[in-house]
Amino acid sequence: MSAGHDAHEDSGFVARRFVLAEFATPEGLLSGTKKVREAGYKDIDTHTPMPLHGLEEALGLGRPKIPLIVLCGAIAGMCIAYSLIYFCNVIDFPINVANRPMHSPPANIPITFELAVLLAGGSSFFGFFTLAKLPTPYHPVFESEDFARAAVDGYFLSIELPPDGDQDKAFAIAQSAGALSAELVTESER
Amino acid sequence: MAAPNLSRDPLEPLPLLEGTHTDKTINDSLLNHVWRGAGKGWWALFGCALSALGLLVIAICWTLYKGIGVWGNNIPVGWAFGIINFVWWIGIGHAGTLISAILLLFQQKWRTSINRFAEAMTLFAVICALLFPLLHTGRPWFAAYWLMPYPSVQRIWPQFKSPLTWDVFAVSTYFTISLLFWFLGLVPDLAALRDSSKSKTKRMIYGIFALGWRGSGRHWAEYKWAYLLLAGLSTPLVLSVHTIVSFDFAVSVLPGWHTTIFPPYFVAGAVFSGFAMVMTWMLPAREFLGLKHVVTFKHLENMAKVMLVTGMMVTYGYVMEHFIAWYSGNPYEYSQFFRVRQHGPMAPIYWLMIFCNCVVPQIFWSKRARTNVLVLWFASILINVGMWCERFTIIVTSLHRDFIPSKWENYSPTWVDISLFIGTIGLFSTLFLLFLKFVPAVAVTEIKELRHELAHDPTTEPVGETH
Repeated sequence: MSAGHDAHEDSGFVARRFVLAEFATPEGLLSGTKKVREAGYKDIDTHTPMPLHGLEEALGLGRPKIPLIVLCGAIAGMCIAYSLIYFCNVIDFPINVANRPMHSPPANIPITFELAVLLAGGSSFFGFFTLAKLPTPYHPVFESEDFARAAVDGYFLSIELPPDGDQDKAFAIAQSAGALSAELVTESER
Repeated sequence: MAAPNLSRDPLEPLPLLEGTHTDKTINDSLLNHVWRGAGKGWWALFGCALSALGLLVIAICWTLYKGIGVWGNNIPVGWAFGIINFVWWIGIGHAGTLISAILLLFQQKWRTSINRFAEAMTLFAVICALLFPLLHTGRPWFAAYWLMPYPSVQRIWPQFKSPLTWDVFAVSTYFTISLLFWFLGLVPDLAALRDSSKSKTKRMIYGIFALGWRGSGRHWAEYKWAYLLLAGLSTPLVLSVHTIVSFDFAVSVLPGWHTTIFPPYFVAGAVFSGFAMVMTWMLPAREFLGLKHVVTFKHLENMAKVMLVTGMMVTYGYVMEHFIAWYSGNPYEYSQFFRVRQHGPMAPIYWLMIFCNCVVPQIFWSKRARTNVLVLWFASILINVGMWCERFTIIVTSLHRDFIPSKWENYSPTWVDISLFIGTIGLFSTLFLLFLKFVPAVAVTEIKELRHELAHDPTTEPVGETH
């Protein structure tokens, strides 16, 4: 959503263009994606109704970021919970009950655990939507009529063309990579 | 109703998906019940559920207007229906997490057909459960005030060494994580709904909830991890929640409560009752929503086996409680387990518990019973009843006869108690029926994935033509 996002009508809106190619099978999509990537296109993405094994390699993605985010969430939750209990019981309002210790680690385990899970789970959920930049109600690929099948039974590859890119070359590569059909979709100005 | 083809080779496994399918037929058959108008049966059930929900509203209003004195609680039975229903509902919720999270980690393929259903059940059961601790504060609008640590001028903090405070954190975390997990799993299916909807309004509405999901490979790569990690987090969470619920009892000195076997025995009981509730709802749903091809007899059999195993764990818990009561030589413990429970005023409920939880599941040793829909359905209802009786026995029977005879008092619920209980069943049913009407009851995306996996797995029979 880079070029045209905040652009006004007279500020030179440059529509993003995509070649949207449909493949017959998931396996065909995976090998086709690999070929298109090897042909030098970097801004490619697949659109499938379910996760496919080997998609990460085909798209050339790096390690997923979610696990690290979740780990940070868990550690943050633990630290917040433990220090909160410590602060309440030891610093702010210590109550001496029969000379038992103010700081009693075993009693702090459950809440520390629960808050770690809460923040880890929350960071998994919100971390994913942040990384995926969702919700995004509009994306140029939705311009295609056929794209309605991407969540049902269609296997698509979208190739974003550079601003001065040649669409015919992308079409040719998509065809040679085994696509059933390919069409050009153009971002509409809003 | 028909039993599966039992004449087939018994060593050949029952299929996880019946019939020949493509992505498209799976999609259409699983979304069909959402697009189809609500039938008479749905409206009839919804009417009953709404009436019970109305009863809940009346009972809540009366409780708030008069105070919790309108409940049957007394001294010494200070905890009664409120906490019985709380523990019962929370336990029912646990099967959902077990199915969706623990079976995912164990890579059990059969979970795929029932996980969405069970997760929704978790969510609604936890909502019902949460009502009771909120209401028992008498003034729920002050509940956050008493339950949550926040800096106030009184400088009072919650008692962090109390399991009741742990419960606040455990149950609220459990609800939140269950909601996030459920919604995360639902997003691709909402996109499928958006893209197969015929009318513009429906496309708009499902489109809003689908958040612009476009099945992007870059998204899936992170999504798989987010989903797996939520499952991994839910697994210890579900164990911790019911463990902490059992601590509410186990840390006291009351005979009948003061026992170390409570945490595992509560967790097993939770799974037991949860699977029974899944069964109670799944059997009619697969019949009326046309889900028989994805919820096959293999699923029903597996659920029956889980009920058999957890039922025996629960039975072991009962045996151990009685053994320790005798072996410890503690006269109060002995009296509680061998006199009060078996022969006291609440004995019928104890014996009903023994019948429903220990005897009834034994029928699942028989394959004929495990594959007979009617037997499964009635057994699941009895197990739900039995698990409610278990909580009643633990809570009321223990409280009403403790150490000193001068403190003994009988207990009977009032109409408000009973209405609240029936009302939460109404609330649960209302939410569940709405879920079945507006959201696919089976995780469509995961079934598509399963179909591809099965199609590529040489050890299983072919399911649909391979792409």
